[in-house]
Amino acid sequence: MLKSKTFVKKTRSGGILKVVREHYLRDDIWCGSEVCVECKDESPVLEKDPCMESSMCTFPHYLIPDTNVVLHQIDVLEDPLIRNVIILQTVLQEVRHRSAPAYKRIKDAIHNKEKHFYTFTNEHHRETFIEREPGESANDRNDRAIRAAAHWYSKHIPDSAEIKVVMLTNDRLNKEKAEQTGLLVYRCDEYIKSLIANPELVDRLALTSDEKNEITSSKILFPEHLPLSQIQSGIKSGKYIQGTFRANRDNFLEGTVFVHGEGDESTEILLQGLQKLNRAVHQDVVAVELLPQEDWVAPSAVVLQDDGSKGEDEEEEEEEEEKKLQTKQVHRDSLKPTGRVVGIIKRNWRPYCGMLTLSHIKESTRHLFTPADRRIPRIRIETRQAATLEGQRIMVAIDGWPKNSRYPRGHFMKNLGSAGDKETETEVLLLEHDVPHLPFSQNVLSFLPSMPWAITEDDMNRREDLRHLCVCSVDPPGCTDIDDALHCRELENGNLEVGVHIADVSHFIRPGNAMDQEAASRGTTVYLCGKRIDMVPELLSSNLCSLRSNVERLAFSCIWEMNDNAEILNTRFTKSVINSKASLTYAEAQMKIDDRNMNDDITKNLRGLNKLAKILKAGRIEKGALTLSSPEVRFHIDSETHDPIDLQTKELQETNSMVEEFMLLANISVAQKIYDEFSECALLRKHPSPPPSNYDILHKAIKTKNLVIHTDSAKELADSLNQADIEGFPYFNTLLRILATRCMMQAVYFCSGLDSDFRHYGLATPIYTHFTSPIRRYSDIIVHRLLAVAIGADSTYPALMDKHKQAALCNNLNYRHKMAQYAQRASVAFHTQLFFKSRGILNEEGFILFVRKNAIIVLIPKFGLEGTVFFENKDKPSPKMTFNEEVPTLTVEGHTFNLFDRVRVTISLDASNIQHQKIRMSLLEPVIPGVSVPLPEAEPEAKKAKLDR
Amino acid sequence: MATVQVSEAEKLYVLHGVRDDLRVDGRGCEDYRHVEVETDVVSNTDGSAKVSLGHTNVLVGVKAEIGKPKPMVPDEGYLEFFVDCSANATPEFEGRGGEGLGIELSNTLVKVFSNKHCLDLKSLCISPGENCWVLYVDVLLLQCDGNLFDAISMAIKAALFNTKIPKVHICEDEDGGKEIELSDDPYDCVRVNVENIPCIVTLCKIGHRHVVDATLQEKACSVASLLISVTHTGMVTCVRKVGGGSLDPESIFEMTETGKRVGKALHAPLMELLQKEESLGSKRQKVGFLG
Repeated sequence: MLKSKTFVKKTRSGGILKVVREHYLRDDIWCGSEVCVECKDESPVLEKDPCMESSMCTFPHYLIPDTNVVLHQIDVLEDPLIRNVIILQTVLQEVRHRSAPAYKRIKDAIHNKEKHFYTFTNEHHRETFIEREPGESANDRNDRAIRAAAHWYSKHIPDSAEIKVVMLTNDRLNKEKAEQTGLLVYRCDEYIKSLIANPELVDRLALTSDEKNEITSSKILFPEHLPLSQIQSGIKSGKYIQGTFRANRDNFLEGTVFVHGEGDESTEILLQGLQKLNRAVHQDVVAVELLPQEDWVAPSAVVLQDDGSKGEDEEEEEEEEEKKLQTKQVHRDSLKPTGRVVGIIKRNWRPYCGMLTLSHIKESTRHLFTPADRRIPRIRIETRQAATLEGQRIMVAIDGWPKNSRYPRGHFMKNLGSAGDKETETEVLLLEHDVPHLPFSQNVLSFLPSMPWAITEDDMNRREDLRHLCVCSVDPPGCTDIDDALHCRELENGNLEVGVHIADVSHFIRPGNAMDQEAASRGTTVYLCGKRIDMVPELLSSNLCSLRSNVERLAFSCIWEMNDNAEILNTRFTKSVINSKASLTYAEAQMKIDDRNMNDDITKNLRGLNKLAKILKAGRIEKGALTLSSPEVRFHIDSETHDPIDLQTKELQETNSMVEEFMLLANISVAQKIYDEFSECALLRKHPSPPPSNYDILHKAIKTKNLVIHTDSAKELADSLNQADIEGFPYFNTLLRILATRCMMQAVYFCSGLDSDFRHYGLATPIYTHFTSPIRRYSDIIVHRLLAVAIGADSTYPALMDKHKQAALCNNLNYRHKMAQYAQRASVAFHTQLFFKSRGILNEEGFILFVRKNAIIVLIPKFGLEGTVFFENKDKPSPKMTFNEEVPTLTVEGHTFNLFDRVRVTISLDASNIQHQKIRMSLLEPVIPGVSVPLPEAEPEAKKAKLDR
Repeated sequence: MATVQVSEAEKLYVLHGVRDDLRVDGRGCEDYRHVEVETDVVSNTDGSAKVSLGHTNVLVGVKAEIGKPKPMVPDEGYLEFFVDCSANATPEFEGRGGEGLGIELSNTLVKVFSNKHCLDLKSLCISPGENCWVLYVDVLLLQCDGNLFDAISMAIKAALFNTKIPKVHICEDEDGGKEIELSDDPYDCVRVNVENIPCIVTLCKIGHRHVVDATLQEKACSVASLLISVTHTGMVTCVRKVGGGSLDPESIFEMTETGKRVGKALHAPLMELLQKEESLGSKRQKVGFLG
């Protein structure tokens, strides 16, 4: 039966369009129940004996939730306990419209066979389709459609089966209407509470109903948010400004709104005080109104943590605190544009990790949750399992923030495990850094090649056979995802042929399929201490793509012909088949090169490469490439317990730089090639030169040592860094390089069609890209595809040639790379803590890296560890301190601390705040009475016991 | 226009018949052929109607779009006419064969409607000088069997009666920025007042007399015809002479009188029919094009 669906919509250009769609009604849509005899469903989803023990519904029943229940209570519906649910098409469509994440989750639940969720396409069923009536709103119509479907079900399921249909809705009107027609209908929360099997499920109910406000005083704490339409017109007229809200990490009463401007004209607006922040949460897109200039304030340097110990009724105290922010005397020029939030355009809430702070009242079920991220406010949740959740890392989602509540309301989602536990903490840091780390889905895995896999005849014909070449790979020890291999041989004409062979990942990952999409979304492999989160499934990363020795592998090769002076005479790119002769570690390769007695092919190969690499490196440094330094640590992990047993800074060997040199060369050659071929859509990587002001700290630092440094160009900087040396202070140069690193900008991916500045400052090359690690970086896969098209080895596809899609991809890759870096650092920090926890207290020598107003930052070269020595202590009166910003120096009780000063510190673990454990450093030498600590007794065993508690 | 060849003898037969108030198909001189009207036949228009008059078959669709008012009349909307003579109607229209006729027909329609009493164009205005509704009236000839004008005018009246313009309102923010907002209820719409919309009555002069609703055969016997558009009150909004021959003032007067009388009589049953159809609502079984 044909019906037509008609609706009128407004087009973007302001026109009004009448849209008519054909809508077919059918009579062969099955109810999906096992008990039904009428429907000819071959594999019914809903069980014969749906068993959900509820004190209200003692009979077997199926559930029909309405849209709002699915939207808000998805956490509950996802629970394995909830089974045999009928999801109506009306509901599914509405959910899809309103929330993409909720839609994805309900879809996953439907696909999960154990859950017995059935999608009933009621909109196409002849008996359940209803047309919108005059005067009926779209929502009312959908509610009626849900009721009609529920009605149909209750009539359709044979009485003999004794299965009833229970509708869940939180809408009062809908419930009343449903009751009038004789349906069984409950509010979602009353139904969940009646479930006998799992009382904990109640905790996961989202707090949505408005009657639950009894705990808060009815006093309105926050100004009302403006409706979206008003915000939009306000933004159009310039009355309000749209921006991203960023909470201040150290001060819960302060935040900034970052306003994207044209080009570089992005500005920040300061917000101060709870009222002005008006319930904005970190990362929300908000509309702000600028305050008149006389109300502008300066950002305060005060550190304020929301203790949460005070109840809602102690607001006076908070107001005091707010005053503390404002009464500070400030210079006129330090005033910042100040504003207030008038409305929220888009909430960017995600599930937050953190811990529960138990309520002081013992029986209370309402508790405050403290997120690990200090920029997120505390969240009030309701739970009955508070006692078991104490000391556990948990996940909580925010449901809303009513205007009469001091804290947002949320609900408990998941217990991650006990705090301080290695697995739990790793999970937390992955979640907090938004690293996709779930196992690959079946859908993704279905695109893997079937095993056993072998190179086919067809592959052989299309590719160059390079199996006879003596190719080898050099990698860090324990590396299983080998994506590059090298060879070098002498040609008949006396020139050298050098080849870089990169794993041909793009052969396995075809554009647009689920595996490709997953890899594009992950962007990069994340390496944590003792754990690797792969970008592509392990079969590819550690086996089929990995260029292991003595197996035939597909590769993408970049082959140069060079003369003895490492000048490139000829470059070519080809898809190939290689057979690596050896997988070496850096140390092994180094030994081979150094051992005069070894003269096999591989060693000769390596020596040739090494010789060329040295020339290449010299040439690069001549052009002004920077050699920077950052302290990197490596843990020796105990193979049994996976606890770090020792830690050392990474050592660099000559072979490291040998491999690096050829990778750089390959990247540059490829960048040039793809840019020549596709000037509009080449994916490149650039490193902008830092603005001169970035170098201020470096200039100040070096002045204290009576040296000069030139920062006008990369070349001058490199030269001055090379010359900066102090007698009897060999570590000085490294310190300086570490400082210089901090002055640099972030290197980013970009699409060549949308940018004009391509330079890579650090490497001093006019063009650069990433080609050499396709197993662990998605950017390289794109570059491979571009290059393959350029040499005619593969076909192109539309998204590859679309510069806007390319730019969007670059943004995601840059974001993922940044987050991966943060996650890596966090992981190192956590393992450092574990290490010091097991070691107890240590005394080490270090150097002052920075001087702050009330602290010095010390670098311990032995561990590559950076820590802050505070001179203020809560319990003790603070010592006399004078801070000279110009030099900079800090004088504490007569002793002046300069940059690069040598100090001795004692290192211990501060576990007082279990969520934010940190390394604490205190001063040992120079001895300043009342400031430095006495040398502790070397008694690590006893301390350890104490810390382990 | 589609024509038939008529022999002298046939002509004489028709002529004598008309003289005696007897027409070939048995009608009187002021009688129309069988008329069928159905509205709401094309769902993706805002209003539509199909009219068959004898074997003449026309389809009219009305599309409402937002446009800019004409500078001379900033507070009025307007109508645009387009007549498509499809080759389905007659093989003569193949290629660009129907173009001339189409233009002639649409020009006539513009003249017929260019009278401020016909339609309240002010009601089509959304915001003066900025936005108004433009009603695109598209006429499609499906089959030609004489008397196109009358059939088209009836179909237009029916289609406009059926037209539902979505209700919009202007929301204005403080600094004068205007935004058109659409009501989210699809049933919330504005109707066009069609009471005063004229119908065209074509009178064919055959011999000394004239007939309404001439068939192709009768048309071939006539030297000239007079086209009169009449509203339900009998007001004449447009008079046009078509055909090669000439008309003497006396017969023009006579024909106008007949036209007014016939036109007035035509409106009442048409409106009655349309209202009756409307009252059936969505339960009405649609006949469509295959019925």
